[in-house]
Amino acid sequence: MLDRLFGVLRQAQRPKPKVGSTPAFVVHHENKWRLLRYRPRAAGPAYRTPVLLVPSLINRHYVLDLMPGKSFAEWLVAQGHDVYVIDWGTPSDEDRFVDFDDIADRAIARALRVACKTAGAEQAHVLGYCLGGTLAVIHAARRPERVASLTLLAAPVAFHDDGLLSLWTRTQSFDVAALVAGAGNVPWQLLQSAFHMLRPTLNLQKAVTILDKAWDDEFMDGFLAIETWGSDNVSFPGACYRTYIEELYRADGLMQGSFSLSGLPVRLENVRCPVLAVTFEHDTIVPWQSAAVVLDRVGSSDKHRLHLAGGHVGAVVSKKASKGLWPALSTFWADRDASSSGVEQAAPAASTDREAAPAVPAPAVAATSVTATAGSPEPASVAARAAAAPTTAAPSKGHRAKRRGGRSQNGS
Amino acid sequence: MFGWDLTKQYFNAWENQTAKYLEHWLKSPLLLEPAGAALSAAMKSKAAADKAAADFWGTLGLPTKRDQERTLHALNQLQSRLLDLEERLADKQP
Repeated sequence: MLDRLFGVLRQAQRPKPKVGSTPAFVVHHENKWRLLRYRPRAAGPAYRTPVLLVPSLINRHYVLDLMPGKSFAEWLVAQGHDVYVIDWGTPSDEDRFVDFDDIADRAIARALRVACKTAGAEQAHVLGYCLGGTLAVIHAARRPERVASLTLLAAPVAFHDDGLLSLWTRTQSFDVAALVAGAGNVPWQLLQSAFHMLRPTLNLQKAVTILDKAWDDEFMDGFLAIETWGSDNVSFPGACYRTYIEELYRADGLMQGSFSLSGLPVRLENVRCPVLAVTFEHDTIVPWQSAAVVLDRVGSSDKHRLHLAGGHVGAVVSKKASKGLWPALSTFWADRDASSSGVEQAAPAASTDREAAPAVPAPAVAATSVTATAGSPEPASVAARAAAAPTTAAPSKGHRAKRRGGRSQNGS
Repeated sequence: MFGWDLTKQYFNAWENQTAKYLEHWLKSPLLLEPAGAALSAAMKSKAAADKAAADFWGTLGLPTKRDQERTLHALNQLQSRLLDLEERLADKQP
């Protein structure tokens, strides 16, 4: 036991793992949000269609770029994808008026336009993670023009389940209007404590895990990186939160067809691009049933589901993900690139680029149907895409550098 | 080592059972309804206090915090519309 305690003390003296360190450029900045482009590999992107990552509003984007060796973004770049990510930033007091339309319609539309323009492509593959997936599918249903394919990573679409968050927000006494009127932006502490209630004993379990694994530096680096991210939450813009609760949680608007964006109805049947829904068996934040159901509703004939073991975060950032989930996603996009253009999966990587070779063979995505869609035959000059001026993306305005310890159950 | 493994096993069993029990209890309307009511009441009080403060500043002819927030938000919206226009202009250029 004593050696375990010494192990914990030793861990306390080690430097904290560096999170979100894959080099990126800021290609667009508007209000608090930014669009980052990860610096393409030296040989330039290998695929013609860029990938836009849409993270959740209430967690930082760097869960998809956690730390070297455990970074989805870094891995994608190494495979030759041209990767963009939205960093939603930290809302200020005035952003209590930022509504769902501002985010799911205007911001994502702008991010897609800028990403496509920068990449020299007509469309982009869109990946949404958790609430980011909900935003992405809403956007794709309303504005499908620039969405080459849609990948939904543990993205809730049906909100009437028996989970704690769904039950609580649907109680009569939960007055979301009063909450927004009083708090403005919904404080991250409130959201964090709600997520804590999903597994009230989780912090104890983590304490025991630390004692158990304190000798394992590699494990502890990953653990601390996730904890750093999990403790780095952001508040939810008030007006947007109100719509989220009233229209999605309470009215189940996407399933009932009653949800509207910028005044126009959102119908999931209008999503006709290839769709991949990824669900996780042990996801306590987004039960897989509420994420998988999207495939029953979208109008696409090229739709697939990938169901994996693991939880909401671990299954996305673990070492196992780099051998299963990540290659599956890359293959999904590469196949759609090839089938839509008939031209590229573009210029093969130069043989000198060590990052180019896939680390592992990609597992086949569990296919329900495969359809080659007619798309733009426009060839892309892949080498030209890497020409942006290199400046490492600084943390966005208002980002908290200070780490708050002790929290880790989180929604994304 | 054996002692630690055994302790961990007991802990895991306890944690699993306790979590299940707590999760079940936390989902009970007997807890959720009062929790929602308490949160709503606290927020209504805060909104009332904010309004009282705003009224006070208003009587002095000064802009309230909410006024400033609205103005800043309007500026952000304007910036967004300008970016829209810039994009359209750029698209029209040959």
